[in-house]
Amino acid sequence: MTAQAHPILNPQFECASREEINAAQFKLLQEQVAWTYERVPFYRERFDALGLKPGDIKAREDVNKIPFTEKNALRDTYPYGLFAVPLDQVVRLHASSGTTGKPIVVGYTKQDIEEWRYCIMAMAQMAGVVPGDRAQMAFGYGMFTGGFGLHYGLEGLGCMMIPAAAGNTERHIMMIEDYGTTVLIATPSYALHICEVGEKLGYDWSKSSLRVGLFGGEPCPPKLKSEIESRMHIICTDNYGLTEVMGPGVSGECLVSRDQQHIMEDRFYWEVVDPDTLEPLPEGSVGELILTPLKKQAIPLLRYRTRDLTRVITEPCGCGRTTARMDKVRHRSDDMLIIRGTNVYPSQIEDVLAGIPGASAYYRLVVETVDGLDRLQLSLEVEPQVFTDSLAEMEGFRRLVAEKLKGALQVGVTVKLVEPASIERVMGKTKHVEDLRG
Amino acid sequence: MSIKQISVFLENQAGHVGRVTHVLERNGISIRGFQLADTADYGIARLVVDLPEAAEAALSEAGFLVRSSELLCIELPDTPGALGTVLTSVGAADINIEYAYSLVSTYVAFKVADIAVAEQQLVGQPIRLVSQEEIARVVGGGR
Repeated sequence: MTAQAHPILNPQFECASREEINAAQFKLLQEQVAWTYERVPFYRERFDALGLKPGDIKAREDVNKIPFTEKNALRDTYPYGLFAVPLDQVVRLHASSGTTGKPIVVGYTKQDIEEWRYCIMAMAQMAGVVPGDRAQMAFGYGMFTGGFGLHYGLEGLGCMMIPAAAGNTERHIMMIEDYGTTVLIATPSYALHICEVGEKLGYDWSKSSLRVGLFGGEPCPPKLKSEIESRMHIICTDNYGLTEVMGPGVSGECLVSRDQQHIMEDRFYWEVVDPDTLEPLPEGSVGELILTPLKKQAIPLLRYRTRDLTRVITEPCGCGRTTARMDKVRHRSDDMLIIRGTNVYPSQIEDVLAGIPGASAYYRLVVETVDGLDRLQLSLEVEPQVFTDSLAEMEGFRRLVAEKLKGALQVGVTVKLVEPASIERVMGKTKHVEDLRG
Repeated sequence: MSIKQISVFLENQAGHVGRVTHVLERNGISIRGFQLADTADYGIARLVVDLPEAAEAALSEAGFLVRSSELLCIELPDTPGALGTVLTSVGAADINIEYAYSLVSTYVAFKVADIAVAEQQLVGQPIRLVSQEEIARVVGGGR
C-alpha cells in the first residue's frame, strides 16, 4: 500500500514537520486553556487555587503546571457540571456505559460535531476507506459514541452509510451480499461472529465485496485481528478514542505502521506520564496517555487521565504522515490485576495465547480466592486443529498453555479446556476477566 | 479391514453426553458401541455408529468438535478366554493397544497404530474381522 493509493485527508497538517505540528498544537492548547478557564468554574477554581493563569502557559514545559483531570471529575459533576456552554448550544449528548453508578455524560456543540466528523474522516482514510465505499454499521447507535460518531464521519467522507446497527447477524450477512458492502464497522468479536455465522451458512468470504474492517469498542488482540483478516479476506484496522475526550477518532491505524495509531494531533494534545508519579516520561517510554482535546467547546477537559498505557513516537511514518504514533493500547492501568503481589494484565495472556499454535483467542479468566490464596483459572476454547482423539495429547496441550502462562505471568494458572463457542460472544465488549475476590 | 470411530470433545458437565446422543437420535443414527474417556474438566466421547459420515456431519453442524479415526474391529466367539487369547497374540507382536472397548454382542474395537499389522497378527485366531458395513447392519439395525 502506498500513500498515493490512499489519499491523506489533510496533508498540510498530517505531513507537516515536527516543528510545525508542535507550534500549531501548542497555539491551540493555549486557546483551549483560556476557553476552559473562562467558562468552567471547576477549572477556574483549580487554577485560582494554584495561582495559575491561562497566560502562564507560555511554553510546553508550562503544561506540567496544569492539574490533571480524573474520571471522577466527570462523575462528581454529573450530568452537566463540566459543560462550558449554555445547554441550548449543545446539539447532542453521549454517555459512556457506566458499569457502576452513574454514567459519564458528554455534550457536543455544532462545531464539536464538525471536529469529530473531521477526526473520523482522517482516521477512515488512514485505514484505506475512500469516498464511495459502502460502510455497514454493526455497532449499536444509542448513547455509545461509536455508532453515531463513525456514522456521521463516514457519511462526511462520502461513504454510503448502511445503518444496520448491532444484532441480527444473518441480516448483516444478507446486507453485505445484497448491498455490496465494502467496509464493516464492528467490535472485533462481533466481526468474528459475523464471519463464523457466514461460514456456517456457506457464505464465501473470499468472494465478498467486503474490503476493510473498522474495529473499535474493545481492544483487538493481534491474533484475533489476523484471524479475521484471513477468514474474511479483509484488512482490519483499529482505532482509538474515549467518550470523555470525544469518542472514536482520537487516533487510527494506517496501512503501513500496523499496530500503531496516528494521533490526530491537530485536535488532541498528548502526553505520556508515569502512572504512579505522574511525571512526564521521555519520548518512546511506556506510560499513561494524557489527552487534552484542543477544539472541544461543550465539555473541554485539560490533561485527562485516560488510564491507558501506551508509548508514543514522533518519527515520520512510511505512509507519508508525520503525526505522532501511539502503540495500540494493550494495558489499562485499571485492568491490572494484582495476583499474590504480581501485576498481571489480560493482554499478557493474549500474547501468550497468540504464540501457541492452535490456541484459541477466546478465553475467560476467573480470579478467585481459595483458602486465602488468589487463584487464576483460564477457560480456553478448543480449536479444531488442537482436538485429537488422544487424551494424552489434549492434556499435553493443556499443560503447554499452563506452562507458557506461568512463564510469562510468573503466576500459576489453572487451564481448563472448554467446548467451542461456549465462551459468550457479545455484540459490544467481550469481558475476558472476572474478578470474584471479595 | 476397519471400522470408523467418531470422537467428540465434551466438557464434563451434566447433560453434555446427552446433547450428543440427542443429535444422533434426531438424525436416526444408531450407536453400536461407545466409550467415555475423561479428565476432571473435559473428556472425549468415542462412538461407533451405523452411519459414521452422517453422524460426523450432524455433530459438526450442531457445533461439536468431531474427529473420525479407524479402529480394528473383531467378533469374538462367546467362550471364556476368547479375549485373553487375542490380547496375548497381539501383545506378543509388540503391538500397542492404545485403548479398546466392546460394542454390541461380542464385538470388540481396538485403537492401534497400524491396523494392517494387527490384522496379520490375528490370522488363524478363532475370530472374525468386522467391517463398517457389518457394523451398519448388525443387531436390529434392519437398514
